[in-house]
This record gives sequence, C-alpha cells and structure tokens, in this order.
Amino acid sequence: MQKVCLTVNGREVSAEIDERTLLLEFVRDVAGLTGTHNGCLEARCGCCVVEVDGDVVKSCNVLAVQVDGAEITTIEGLAPQRLAPVDQITTQSLAGVYRPVEAVRGTPEDLHPVQAAFHRCHAVQCGFCTPGMVMVLKDYLEENPEPTRDDVRRAIAGNLCRCTGYQHIVDAAMEAAAEMRGERVPDRPTHGSTDGA
Amino acid sequence: MRPFTWLTPETTEEAVALLRAHGEGARVIAGGQTLLLAMKERLVGPSHLVSLARITDLAGITTEPDGALVVGAATTYAALTRAELPGWQRRLSEVAGDLADRPVRNRGTIGGALCAADPRFDMPAFAVGVDAELRISGAAGERALPAHEFLVDAGRTALGQDEILTAVVLPPLPTWDVVVFEKFRHRVFDAAIASAVCALRREDHGVPASLRITVAGATPTPTVVLVDAAADGAAAAESAVAAVRLDSSDEATRYRRELVHTLVRRVVDRAHAQQGSV
Repeated sequence: MQKVCLTVNGREVSAEIDERTLLLEFVRDVAGLTGTHNGCLEARCGCCVVEVDGDVVKSCNVLAVQVDGAEITTIEGLAPQRLAPVDQITTQSLAGVYRPVEAVRGTPEDLHPVQAAFHRCHAVQCGFCTPGMVMVLKDYLEENPEPTRDDVRRAIAGNLCRCTGYQHIVDAAMEAAAEMRGERVPDRPTHGSTDGA
Repeated sequence: MRPFTWLTPETTEEAVALLRAHGEGARVIAGGQTLLLAMKERLVGPSHLVSLARITDLAGITTEPDGALVVGAATTYAALTRAELPGWQRRLSEVAGDLADRPVRNRGTIGGALCAADPRFDMPAFAVGVDAELRISGAAGERALPAHEFLVDAGRTALGQDEILTAVVLPPLPTWDVVVFEKFRHRVFDAAIASAVCALRREDHGVPASLRITVAGATPTPTVVLVDAAADGAAAAESAVAAVRLDSSDEATRYRRELVHTLVRRVVDRAHAQQGSV
C-alpha cells in the first residue's frame, strides 16, 4: 500500500491505495468523480482523459502513484456548476451540462465553450466518449486557437466515438474554437456539411 | 496486473543501485505507456518498479559544444514536439509529434520507446536512421552504444539488468544535410506497419557523399541498407527490399515488401530533391 495525495479539481484527496491503482480508478472510486469514463482500459478509446498538471493523459494508462502530488482536472472541473452532483443521467449531464439550457454559450460560471458547443451542435449521442473528447479538445484548442477541420480530427485521433461519426464533434470543436477566439457564435447550431469547410 | 513495490529514486545512481538490489524482477518505468499495457495484460509482472519521474536530469534537451544534441531518455514526446531544434535535428520534433495521440504523447518518452524496442515504433527507426548514440549508466559505470547495436531483437535491447538508458545523442548537424522520415499506418494513432529513414550528406558541390537508408517495422530491428550515395529512389528501393529479406509469399509479407519499396523510394527521392541543409 502506498499513500497518494492528489488535488482533484481543486480539492485535496488523499488515500492509502494499492500500488496497482490506476489514476482512472483513483478519480472514479477514491475521489468519487464518475464523469471520467472507463472505456477500454488499454489507452485506445480516450474516454478516460483527464488533465495532470495541465497536460491531458489517458488516466487508464497511468498509475496513481506516478502522479502523486499532481493537480488533476476532470470533466467535472471544467466549470464550477458541474461540481454539483448528478441526480439523473441525461444527454445534458453526459455533456457535463447539469441544468437545462437553451442555446447555451460558454461563460466562466456556466460552461466551458467546448461543452457549450457540444450541446449546441448535438455532438453527444450516447455520451460515453464525451468527457474524453471535451478534455482533449479543450487542451488542444487552448494551444491551437485556429485549427482546420483536419487538425481537429488529428487532435481527437486517440478518442473513439461509435455513435456520431465524428461530424458533429468536429462541428462543435470548430464552433468552440471560434468562441474561444472571442468571436460570436450563432444561437443555433451550424452544421458543416462537408469536411472541406 | 501483478502486485509490485513502487520505488522512486532521486538520482540515476540510486536507481541503478535499486535495480541491482532487486535483481531480475525489477523494471524501470518512465512514462509507462508501453510497460503498463503489458503489465495489465500480464505479459510482464515486475516485482519492483523503479520510477524515473523524480530524476530531473533525465528529461530535457541540451546541445554539446560540437553540436551533438543530447536528449534525456525521459523526455516526453510532447516536450520533443515543442522543442525548437536546428536543421535536420528538427525531424525529431516532427516524428515525435506525429505518433500515437495527444494524451499518450504527454506521457510517452523517447527512452521508453527505445527500451521497449518494438519494431513498429518510430523512435528506434529514427535513432538508427540518423546513427544516434545511446548513453547508458550502470553499476559498472557509463557506456555508449550506437542505436543499431542497442536494439538486439524485437523487444530486446543490449541493456544489462542494472543499467539505465540515460540519453539519446543525435550527431552534430554537419553529419547530415537532409533527413527524411516516412511511415505507413492505417489509422493516425496506430504504430507503423513499416517506416523508412533516409539521411543524406552532400559534398561541397552538392554531390551526394553518403546515403544512409534505414527500414523499420518489417524486420525485428531497424535494418540499415547499404547503397551507393548516388542511388536514386528506385534503385534504393530495390536494395532495401533485398536487404530486409521478406521472402515469404503470404499476403502480409507481400504487403510489407510493397510498403518498404514505396517508402524507401519516397524518402530517397525526397532527400535528393531537397536543396541545401534541412
């Protein structure tokens, strides 16, 4: 057993854990934040992506002991309102949107622009891949504010989605990028019809 | 995953001492992106894991007075991607930025890829391709090996049980004028089915003086193909296919042979077409 202390979404969480505990298991079972999903457990699907000291990692392929002392940000930590507990699992809760919202925009109190864009563009279907997608896109768009659709596809190469065919996810990423650059985004979703856009 | 003891040395010497003390069951872990996958499958079950995370001088990039680039073995792909490197050494950043996926690149390390010695990985191919030297620390002291001698077989290296790979040294800029890397994989985040590296040095008047072609993925370790410095893509591709000896006639082998041929032709033609030193 090993004592590990992590700061998860600003909250200090420490526990005596088995050395084999994955960061994913620590986040879900010790910190109790189940927004981070366990998909494949072999670093392929990207559903378990969290930030460790500002860098995204696949938490199923990192031991909790490897990141002892680090700051972890999970999907629940992207905007304050999502620290509230989920009563009912809905499409919105899976996107990290806990209140019913009409044509939401990203604001610091409300939603991260990527989450807002996912909601607007219907980039969530079953929602299982969504936490990982949002975490990777947030990290990517912060570093690359003006991506092309092709860049976005490469950025989420390590995230599998079996529902959407990725089109709406790429739409959402493009809208989120625009919003993060400070541009106005439409109230209604604008679906890019081709990938050449 | 089998149970193990977690050890976090602060210096390389301490890490070597721990490896020596715990013998065969002890393994080094850097980012863990390859090792943890194998441990979860129980393909390996180390009794002790010696983490390199706290040994700060194992990560980072420095340039020697002679221009050689010393890359710490625990430098992540993400750090390599962000590094601003001169001339052909920039290829290292490009190769590191175009493998696996974004989250994996934040954890995976260059040294980890070399020690895993997976034939499909890009870093072993690149290291052999540019004739890099690997620095090793062990109980018996320090030593250095050329990358092609370090990689012994698929999944096997020349590292002793109580030795640690500490750095990958790319030769100084004048060693090559042009380095070109190409690989083929089905999906962006897949490991390469085959890859090829061409390193070209020219004489003063632009005449090719030395051409080093390396093929990886198709053979257990990267294969250096001997060709005439003036060889064009087509001729080099024929030599490469002969050198990797993919003789079997089954479909998978035939496919690899085709890939080797195409990739070598491309890297060599691209290298000859590039003017100046890049």
